[in-house]
This record gives sequence, structure tokens and C-alpha cells, in this order.
Amino acid sequence: MTPRVVLVVEDGTEYVDAFRRLAAEGSEVELLHAPDAASARQILSGRRVDAIFLDVVFDRTPPEKLAGDRARGNDYLAQNQGFYVLADLAPLIASGVRVLLAHDFASHPARLAALQERVQGLEGVAESAGINQVMGRLLSRV
Amino acid sequence: MILASLFCALLAAAPPDEAPVSGDCSADPAALVAEAAALLAASGPEPSAEALSAARRLIRSARRADASPDLALEAADLAFAAGDPEEGGDLLAAAADAGPARLSPAELLLLGRRAVERRRWREAIARYRELAKSLAAREQAADWIPRRVRELELEEEAEAIAVPSSGPSVEARLALADGKRALAAGRLREAREGLRTALQLEPSYVEALLALAALEARAGRSGAALKACREALAIEPERVETLTLLANLLWAEPDRVAKEESLVMLDRAVLLRPDLRSLLRLSANRWAEYGDASKAQERLDRYLTRATAKERDDTAALREALLRRTKAPETSPTPAAPPFDEPASAAIDLWRKAQVYAARGDAASLAAALALLDEAERLDPAFAQAPALAAAIHERRSEWKDAEEALHRAVRADPTRSTTYETLARVLERDPARAGEAAAAWIQAEQAGSTEALFHLASSAERAGRDADALGLYRRYRDEAPAGLNAADADAAIQRLDRRRSIGVLIVALAFGLLLCGVAVALYRAKTGLTFEEWLSENPGRAPEARRIVGRLRHEALKHGGLLLADGADRIETGEAATRQATAELLVARLYGGEGSRGLVAEAEDALTALSALARADGARLNLRHLDPVFSSLLRGVRGLRRARRSLGRVARSGSSQPIHARLAARLLRSAAQSFQLASGAEIERSVDRALALPVRLDALRALLARIAVESDRTVPTLETTGEDLPTVRICASDWETLWRNLFGNALSAGRLALSAAKRRDAVTGEARLTIVLADDIPRALTADEVRARTPDRGLGVVVEILRRNEGTIDVIAAPAAGFTKGIRIELPIVESA
Repeated sequence: MTPRVVLVVEDGTEYVDAFRRLAAEGSEVELLHAPDAASARQILSGRRVDAIFLDVVFDRTPPEKLAGDRARGNDYLAQNQGFYVLADLAPLIASGVRVLLAHDFASHPARLAALQERVQGLEGVAESAGINQVMGRLLSRV
Repeated sequence: MILASLFCALLAAAPPDEAPVSGDCSADPAALVAEAAALLAASGPEPSAEALSAARRLIRSARRADASPDLALEAADLAFAAGDPEEGGDLLAAAADAGPARLSPAELLLLGRRAVERRRWREAIARYRELAKSLAAREQAADWIPRRVRELELEEEAEAIAVPSSGPSVEARLALADGKRALAAGRLREAREGLRTALQLEPSYVEALLALAALEARAGRSGAALKACREALAIEPERVETLTLLANLLWAEPDRVAKEESLVMLDRAVLLRPDLRSLLRLSANRWAEYGDASKAQERLDRYLTRATAKERDDTAALREALLRRTKAPETSPTPAAPPFDEPASAAIDLWRKAQVYAARGDAASLAAALALLDEAERLDPAFAQAPALAAAIHERRSEWKDAEEALHRAVRADPTRSTTYETLARVLERDPARAGEAAAAWIQAEQAGSTEALFHLASSAERAGRDADALGLYRRYRDEAPAGLNAADADAAIQRLDRRRSIGVLIVALAFGLLLCGVAVALYRAKTGLTFEEWLSENPGRAPEARRIVGRLRHEALKHGGLLLADGADRIETGEAATRQATAELLVARLYGGEGSRGLVAEAEDALTALSALARADGARLNLRHLDPVFSSLLRGVRGLRRARRSLGRVARSGSSQPIHARLAARLLRSAAQSFQLASGAEIERSVDRALALPVRLDALRALLARIAVESDRTVPTLETTGEDLPTVRICASDWETLWRNLFGNALSAGRLALSAAKRRDAVTGEARLTIVLADDIPRALTADEVRARTPDRGLGVVVEILRRNEGTIDVIAAPAAGFTKGIRIELPIVESA
């Protein structure tokens, strides 16, 4: 059976480490890591990805590597980088790819709906979600 | 002399009843004697009773008329001849007192024996010594006499020793206890009654006498105190407590003779208790004060042989003073012991003689004393003084085991004697391993009425740290023995303990006060301060900054933490050893930091600290822990993670070796996860949004424009507005007004303005935003880059800065309608969550 390929986009390695050590045991899953939008775009351009996990805050990423309009300011871009990465990758995301954004949309369902218009498989991650639950959703098919 | 021929008649004849004599009324003594001699001569070798009686009458009459020695001697012969040895002896003694040379050896021997029979030891010794001289003058053998004299001297010394008490009765002891209690309480009258009662019941009750002496000393009746003390010393001559008390009482007397006696008493006490070095020092001081530098120096030297450095320092002044003094003439007063004429039992006689031998102190005398005491114990096993004295001798000879056995025998014989227990305690104290037995002996001594035991118990209590007990015992000692052996030390100890207790009380009071203050401060801090939302509602200008901090907190604690904790806890508790260890390692690195990471806990705490600091800058105190409904849970979760660090670390290091740590870590992690869930990030966000929520009212903007124009003394431009039901934007009111003041201020030169607003969603973030366009007809061109490059101190620069801070944007657009030259478009986030 072909393993599911999950791309984790985050400025550190916390999520990918946690997935690898706490949730991926015994699963047919291949974890890929991209630290910024450009790297993620490169991975997506080169190979099949079944699911994408996007962190939102990229405050450890060098400002020159942040995606988005500089007019918004680096701080704003770093705090919301996940959305910009999502926008950057949207054209490359095939249908059927599950995309989880590490943001709780419970108070902003309209915002999630607006984003889903661009990326159909997009979902938010509730703050109460555990790592196994997140991994389960990443491995499930859209 | 006819005496020799009449010796037989003297010794054989029974004293006949006296009969009247016809011629006894003569006034001439010589004639009367001659008449008596004639009467006896006429009666032949065996005179009749009538003749003897008549002769005695004549002799007595003659003696009454003439007391000359010659007549006495002659009359003595006739008295013996008349069958009156008593009369004869008295007459011989009278003649001897006038001149012993007149008496023959036989007469001297007779007088000596008569004195022995009457236990008149001194007289007997004198007679035997006269006999020795008389025999020597006649060149007759007298070598047996010195031995006899020594025996008589021993008898005399022994006679001087008082009959010991056989132990007080229960009633006497109770009365003494009452008296002591009253004395300790300062009720002197009642104390005196109790002690008198005890002494009436037991006149030789040493403890009662000592207590009475203490009472009288306190009452200022030194004479009565001395009397009681002397009585006590006569009963028990080797009691150091008595000696020192008497020494102190005498020292307080004004006359020099009393002081001399005091010094002798003190020296006796030193001899008896060489281990009490304080006595030596006291003796040295007093001899110095008395003016005998050499004796003082000698005692001081003995004291210093085993002195500590501090003791040497303390006595340095005395030493120097003594060295400066010239040697004073030595005095050695020796007060005579009071006579005591009480008959004694055989055991007591032996004990008395043993006392004399013991006092001599040489090895042979001590051995003789012990032999006598053995015999005394055999004769009277209940006579406790015999084994007690034997113990003292064994002690002096360093025969500790024998001393202890003798003391136990003394206790068995008389369990009421406090001195026996005291001595036993001191003997036992020599062996540190028997400290418990020694302590028990001191307690028994105290129960038997020993005041010295009180001091020892007090010292022990102080050494054991029982200051309250020690203070009580020292006070009792001082009350019961104000001039006692250790009175000065007791006073010093009381002062020391009082001071320590005062300091202790002060410290406790201070600590209690500090504790109360601490509790009050803690309560005050727990009950006062602001919640996060209260602070923001009072200071909405801080909301944008707080929003960034809170965003960081949510990201770290609530999102990352929440993601890891619950599942991590499950794996640590139920996973295999390797899984458990790997999970713990990951959590330790993530929660508490590792290479290049400060850790979730530190990040969260930094964020909370930053929030508090921000509030403090506004003069507000955040009370997130106790009052804030959201942050209190978050803080609880962070504290839980801190507590989990040790057990989690152990699991990370050892894997499965100690499952208890894994269980504890899992429990704490789950608890933290629950706390983080309660600390809803969405609710925190809503708090910020509520503080910043500002409804947009176009009419208010129109009014603001008019006001700015009036303030600037300019004509109000025409303002066309479009748009209704405008949403609430996320900006504080002051920022909002400043923003529009600068926008309008920049556009006052326009003749026509148009304001339009519309909602839209950001294509990238999906965020709802309000777009407002302010169009003007000012001909001057403006680009977005120009606007963004303005310094943030005035005009559009201020607008740019306000919008940046509130996550807004600014742009310059082309004229939105005819008649306008350009438009400035600003955009702000719309509040959806609030």
C-alpha cells in the first residue's frame, strides 16, 4: 500500500517531530517538512502530496522569506504567515488533498468558508485537538 | 597517806545511806577532819555503816568551810575511807585542779578512769597526761599512756559529731514541701510556719534547716539564718550545700571573724568537692578580698590548672591584682565544733569514729574508717550514714564501683536522704554512657528535697534545649537557695534565659506579624486587581499590543501545548518503555526547552509577564491568577506543567524503571491539558475584540470634520457619504479619532470630499474588513509609497502608524468618481467574534 504523504509546513520542527514520534507509528505515512512557502511550493511542484498541515505563526522565519505584501509589515506577516502560504500554495493543491491550518475557526466560520472557496479540502484545527486526532484527519481522505 | 589502804574499801563498799553525825556542826575544818579520822580509827578495820555515814558528814562540812587543796586531799582520803568514792573523787579532782603534782599516780589513774566513765574525754586525756608525767618523774613505765590518750582523743572528736537524722517522716517532708512552695512564692510567713512544723516533727531535718536558713536570709534575719545553717552543718558536716550557704551567710556579716570562718567553710567545701571549680574561684576571690594574697593566689593557681581560655581571661584582672599585692600575714582561724552531748548507739559511735578517721585523710585512716563503717553497717543495716560515708571514702580513693555500691546500700537503708542521691548522681555522671541513670538520680534527689539537684536538673534542661523547664527550675533553685552553692550561676542563667525568651517571643511575634502581613497582602492581592478584560476596557489603547502577546500565548500554550499534552500523557502512562521514554523526551524538549528553543512553559510565562508589565505601565495591576476567569485556568495549566517537570524528566531519563513517575507525569499533563482547554483562546480573543470594537458612524465622522475645520479656522468641505449598516471595526476610539483628525486635517484644503465604506473579505486571510475611501478634489498628486514613507509624527504618517498597529492598511487610489482627483483608501478588520 502506498503510504500517505503529508507535508508539514512550519518554521520549526515541532509539529513534524510530534507527528513522527507520537502519531505516525504504525501508520503508512510519509512526512515531509517545509520551513517556508517557497520550500512548500517546491515540494508540491515536484511530487504527490496527500495532505498538508500548515502552521500559522512563522515568527522564526527570516523576514525575507515571508510570503505576502510587505506593506502589511513583517510582524503581521509572521503572525499570519500560514494564510499567506496557503494562498501561495492554493494553485498547486490538487483536489482531494486534505489541508489542515493550525487555526481555530470556531469563532469565525465565515472566514473558513471564504478560504474554502479557494482550497476545498481546507479545515481548521481546534485548540483542543490532540495530535492523534490531527493525524487521523490528515490521513483520512477528503 | 591512808588512801592506799582504803582503796579496797572504796571499791568494795556500797554507798551506805547517810546517817546523822553528832559533831558535824563544828566550824573548824581541820577539827572536823580530825574528828572524822578519829571516828573511823575508833571503828576499827571495818567501820560500821553509822560510823562511815557520820565520817562523811564531817568531811563534807569541813569541805564547805575550807576549799584548800591540802584539806581537800586529806578529806578525799577520809571520803574514800568513809565509803563515798564520788565525794572522794570530787575532792581529788579539786586537789588536782589546784596542783596535779600533789596527787599520786594511783589517784591520777583513778581520776582518769572516772572521767572516762563519765565520757568527759578532755578531762580524761588531761589526767592520763598528768599520770604520764608523774610516772616519768618516778621513772616508772608509762609507754602505754600515749596510746590511751590517742584513743581518748578519737573518742572526743567522735563525740563532737552530731547524731545523724534517721530520715524525716512523711509529715515532715510534706510540711517542708509546703514551706518551700510558700518560700518560692514569696509568702515568707507561711513558709516559716511550714518549715517550723517540719522541724518540730524532725529537729534534725537538714533540708528543712537549710530552707529555713534561706528563708531567714531572705527576710534579712542573718542571725536566725546562721543559727539554722550551723544546726544543719552539725547534723551533716560534709554537706557542701550547707558549707557554702554558711560561707555565704558569714561572708555577708560585717565582722572579720565571721569572714574568717566563712573562708574556712569555703575551703572545706573545696576539699569535699574538688570537681566544683567555681568554688575554687570563689575562694580565690574572697581570700583576695579578705586581704590574704598568698592564699588567694594558691587557690587561683589551682583553679587555673584546668581553666579554659575564657576562664583565664575572666580571671586575668584578679591574677594581676594578686601579683601586685605584697604577701599578707596568713590567718587560719579554726572555729571549734559545738559540743554535742547526746548518747549514741554502737553503730553511731563507730560512724563517728569513722568520720574522724575520714577527716584525717591518710590511707591508713581511710582504711580504718572503712573497717569501722563495715562494722557499723553490720550492727545497724538501716543506718544509712554508714554506707554514705563509706561511699565518700571510696570516692576519695577513686573506687567508683565501690562508691556506687555503697550509695545504693545507703539508698536502700534510707530512701529519703537527698544527699545520697546527689552523690550517686555525681558518681554516675562520670560515665557518659550512664547519663540516663544520673539524670534519674538527680530527679530522685530533687524529689527528696535537694536544692542542688534543682540546679543540676535546670542545667540539664537548658542543655537539652528545654528553656521553659530550665527557667522554672532555676527560679525554684534561686527561691529555695538564694545563698546556695550555685546561686550566682542560677541568677545568670535566669537572666540569660529570660533574655533568650524575650528574644524568642519577639521573634515569634515578629514572625507572626510578618505572617499576618503576608497573609493580608496575599489576601489583598488575591482579591484586588483587574481581569484582562477589565484592564483592556479601561485601557483600550493597549489592546493591539495585548492582542499580539495573547496571540503568541495562544499559539504556544493552547495550540502547541494542547496538541501534545493529552496524547502524550496517554503514551507515557500506557506505552511501552521505549515509547514512554521517547514521548517524555519529546515533551521535555517541547515544554521546557532544548536546543534553540526556550520551551512552551517559558514562552507562556514570558507572555504573561509581558501582559502584566503592559498593565503596570498604565498603573493597573492584573490579577489573572485569582480573578480572571480565563487566564486563571491558563496559569493553572502552566503551573501543572512546571510541577510535571521532575517526574517527566525522570521518565525521559529512565524509561520504565519507576512507573510511579510516569503515572504522576501523565496525571499532571492531563490536568494541564484540561486547564488549557478551559482557558479558551477564543474567549481571550473575544476579550480583546470587545475592548477594541468600535461601531463606525458616518454622521460622527461628519461632525468631526466640521469640528476640525472650525479648530483650524477653515471652511468645512462638502462631504458626501455613501454606505449604511457599517460594521464594527477593531480599533480603539482614540486611535480612530486621531486617524480621522489627520485624514481630515490633510484634506481641509479640498472643496469637496466623498466618504464611502464597504465590507469585503481579505482574499488571503479570509478576514472580514471594512474599506473606507476618502476622495478629495485636491489637485496635488499622491502615491501609496509616498504615504507609507511619511514619518509617523504628523499627518498621514500618523495615519499609517495607527493603521499598522491596528492591522489596517492604507492605499492611494485613483479618483473614484468624477470631480475628484484621488482617493485614500483605508482598511480595518471587522470584529466578527465579539
